[in-house]
Amino acid sequence: MATTLVLVTTSAGVADEVALQALALGRRLAAGGPVHALVIADEAAATGLGAWGATEVHLARHAELGSPAPDAVARILHDLALRLEAGIVVGPGTEAGNTILARAAARANLPFAANCVDVTIGDPLTVTRLRWGGSLLEEAAIHAGPAMLTVAPHVIAATPTGGVAAVAPFTPELDEADLAVRVVDRIAAAAGGVTLAEAKVVVSGGRGVGSADGFGPIEELAALLGAAVGCSRAVTISGWRSHTAQVGQTGTKIAPNLYIACGISGATQHMAGAKGAKKLLAVNKDAEAPIMSAADYAVIGDLHQVVPAISAEIRRVRGA
Amino acid sequence: MDAGAIVTVPLFILVLYVFLGAFLLRAAYLVRLVRAGRASNRTGDLPVRTAREVVGVLGQSKLFLRPIPGVMHLLLFWGFLVLLPTIAMSFLGAMNRHWTIPWLGEQGWFVLMVDLFAVGVLVGVAIAFTIRLGLRPVRFVGSYLQVAYNILLFEASITITLFLWHGSQVALGINEFPPEWAPVSNAVAGLLSSAPVPALEGFERGVVWVHALLILAFLVYIPYTKHLHTLVVWFNVFFERTRARGRLEPLVFDDPAVPEDQIRFGLATIADMTWKQMVDDMTCTECGRCQDACPAFFTGKNLSPKLVVMGLRDQLYREGHAMLAAAAGPAGPIFQGQPLVPTAVADDTVWDCVTCGACVRECPVGIEHIDHIVDLRRNLVMVDSRFPAEGATMLRDLERTSNPWGRSQTERTDWAAGLDLRVLEPGDPAPDVLFWVGCAPAFDERARIGAISTARLLKEAGVDFAILGPRESCTGDPARRMGDEYTFQSLARQNVETLGESKITKIVTTCPHCFNTIANEYPDFGGHYEVVHHTQLLAELVRDGRLAPAAGTDGVTYHDSCYLARHNDVRAEPRELVAAVGRPIEMARREERTFCCGAGGAHMWLEERGGQINEERAREATATGAGTLAVACPFCTVMLDDGVQGIGSGLVVKDVATLLVEAVDRGRALPEVRPDP
Repeated sequence: MATTLVLVTTSAGVADEVALQALALGRRLAAGGPVHALVIADEAAATGLGAWGATEVHLARHAELGSPAPDAVARILHDLALRLEAGIVVGPGTEAGNTILARAAARANLPFAANCVDVTIGDPLTVTRLRWGGSLLEEAAIHAGPAMLTVAPHVIAATPTGGVAAVAPFTPELDEADLAVRVVDRIAAAAGGVTLAEAKVVVSGGRGVGSADGFGPIEELAALLGAAVGCSRAVTISGWRSHTAQVGQTGTKIAPNLYIACGISGATQHMAGAKGAKKLLAVNKDAEAPIMSAADYAVIGDLHQVVPAISAEIRRVRGA
Repeated sequence: MDAGAIVTVPLFILVLYVFLGAFLLRAAYLVRLVRAGRASNRTGDLPVRTAREVVGVLGQSKLFLRPIPGVMHLLLFWGFLVLLPTIAMSFLGAMNRHWTIPWLGEQGWFVLMVDLFAVGVLVGVAIAFTIRLGLRPVRFVGSYLQVAYNILLFEASITITLFLWHGSQVALGINEFPPEWAPVSNAVAGLLSSAPVPALEGFERGVVWVHALLILAFLVYIPYTKHLHTLVVWFNVFFERTRARGRLEPLVFDDPAVPEDQIRFGLATIADMTWKQMVDDMTCTECGRCQDACPAFFTGKNLSPKLVVMGLRDQLYREGHAMLAAAAGPAGPIFQGQPLVPTAVADDTVWDCVTCGACVRECPVGIEHIDHIVDLRRNLVMVDSRFPAEGATMLRDLERTSNPWGRSQTERTDWAAGLDLRVLEPGDPAPDVLFWVGCAPAFDERARIGAISTARLLKEAGVDFAILGPRESCTGDPARRMGDEYTFQSLARQNVETLGESKITKIVTTCPHCFNTIANEYPDFGGHYEVVHHTQLLAELVRDGRLAPAAGTDGVTYHDSCYLARHNDVRAEPRELVAAVGRPIEMARREERTFCCGAGGAHMWLEERGGQINEERAREATATGAGTLAVACPFCTVMLDDGVQGIGSGLVVKDVATLLVEAVDRGRALPEVRPDP
């Protein structure tokens, strides 16, 4: 029965979902023993953790802990693990969790097992973990202690226990060096509307657009739909648009609700980047173009007539 | 022995000691470098290697791909071979004016050859200067030009002093050779004979010493320059790869006999170079024939194969002493070499290469550029994880879905819908031939037409064949050429296992990249099969009368794929088929000297910088006036179709198999000729 310490990452007063899953694993590994949770700065989130199985909650408060500082959190976690004589330290297998646990393990000169899907207590402790983006499972034994690991997202369910836990605030000791990595400034993404990768609607043009100027109607339609403008490789090769607008295997992968592909034949290279689209509307003169086999809707016609007609109809319906 | 010899003999021996010592010091350094190189297996095939020495080195075969530089080099090369004995003669002559090589020094035929070949050397030097200073071809850009001029000046002055020495001997009557056999030396003697005898005697002594000292100085200079090729080309050509040119040497990760610190992850520093790579770099003459043939260079990219080799060589020489000191033992200093990328070769340059092999084909001295570039990529990918971002998608998809486009393996047989092909299940009896489809034909709309055509023709001819369907994975070629040897080897092992389970012995494929990998690289992983390209099998079926095409009248120009024509010597059969389906028109860059479509070396999945290789090739094909561009590779199909559309040409790009289907259909439509009853 080892003392278990769980790093619970939070955002704006709410514990992260994967962190609660880590807490569930921690509770299982503690097998009735104490389950310590560490929360950084977020008091609102800390108070609710008893309901998810924590028996003691440690709340670190420090003037410099208002924004992400992985080295500082790693030190706090490591110091607390030593103070509690923890046998197992668990964190969420998120980017933040893996970053912090990796740094904590490095400080302690210990091995670190990321993305565990299963853990078996024993001597040595053994873990099963995801490797290579989930394409294989690795079984590993951890011979050193405390065991430092993170739990892979969404493999262990977070289960409420309805318990209550005291929150013990403390002020961690931090040096200048611990705060070397921290957020110093936040800059909003450059204006210019939605990014291609995240856009809900994408309107793209291909070789059929004919020229850089030919993108006028496509930009107009995109503006009406609040969509991002994309293009095929043939367009960037011709220099009509920059590579950042390219949808495809060697460009941006998109996953919009609606993808409107105009004058694009649908080469494999392009479709590899567009396969995440939920609905595909193809506008093309060639009824035999490969894109037709992938399209949910198709207009067989010249995009230079079809696209302005769609824009005009949208305006008419909106009464503008 | 006359009194003077008491001074000149020890003096000359001292001079010889100094110069020869300087040469041997440098030579010993170079030999120690090569001995410290990592392993590369180059044994066996003695007859082939010997033949290459005769044809390639003595016969200068590759140099004659360019006639004028070829003649120039032949004159210099054979000139100096013939003049070699005169070196010893001049050393003896410097010590005593009556000494020469017994017998040979007295032969009329020999002195005639010396005169003729020495004139040849001067002509060769003149041509070389005309090319370098007058014509100034692009291929010399970036070469060390002053060094080349120095070498030519050495050669000219050694030859001129030889004539002056022989002429003064004849004028003094102290020659051992019959002067009537030495027309040039005799003519020089005529010019000198009016001088007073004491002056002439002094001149003879002086000029033979200058001649001998020039030779010795040149000897010391050679191993510091590109002229080192004269000494090492013999080894480099001898140890060139003899069999599969398209094969890359595997990295060994899991051999218990190889200690972990000996595992090579490509080229990070000069300490990772194989001995062959070192000799390659030492042999480079900076002639730029590789650069002239390179499609990346031709379309304005960073890569010049010549500058890659020169950069690696310069770094090898610069850091070699430190490397050898560290290799001397554990007590020695630790070698901290600069990373070859970007010190010797820029990042972009490494990724420009399409592994087409044009450089290797052109190189007269046996340099294997692809091995260097792929090894640099291996280190960047596997150790530094530093490569073009768009390539990461392809590598991840290969790992995850076993094909480079991330499509589901269950879609692998979609292309064959309606063809009624036998899909080989585990335990099924093996077919005569396995049709290895490949990822591009399985998943790409344009590439699949060639595969559908091939399947139709094989059925028409009654060939017993089957496909693996969802059990087929990418051969790993794009991963390997990208430098990701891990992914390649895991795919290779998986495929070899699948093929072994189904007891496959013969494979046909439409993809030259699959062909190359399965035929040349899978044997390294225990997979031994008879592999044929579909053009070879189809040509055989036409020859045997099992397919009866009727040739059309349209002009067809055939594009040779690098991995077929150059890496694997399949050139005749596709042409047989083209002749059977239409009117063949050849492009200038063809067969072994073909020009890439731009997709090799994983470039099907990388963004191209600079000009478009495929458009360049499409322009060349369009210029032939043919209506059809025949291809025999799924990558070439896609790339050249894009190229043709990009330049707005009316050319129709079709796989040879598709043209054959049309010709067979045409043959069937012809009225049958029946003998009168």
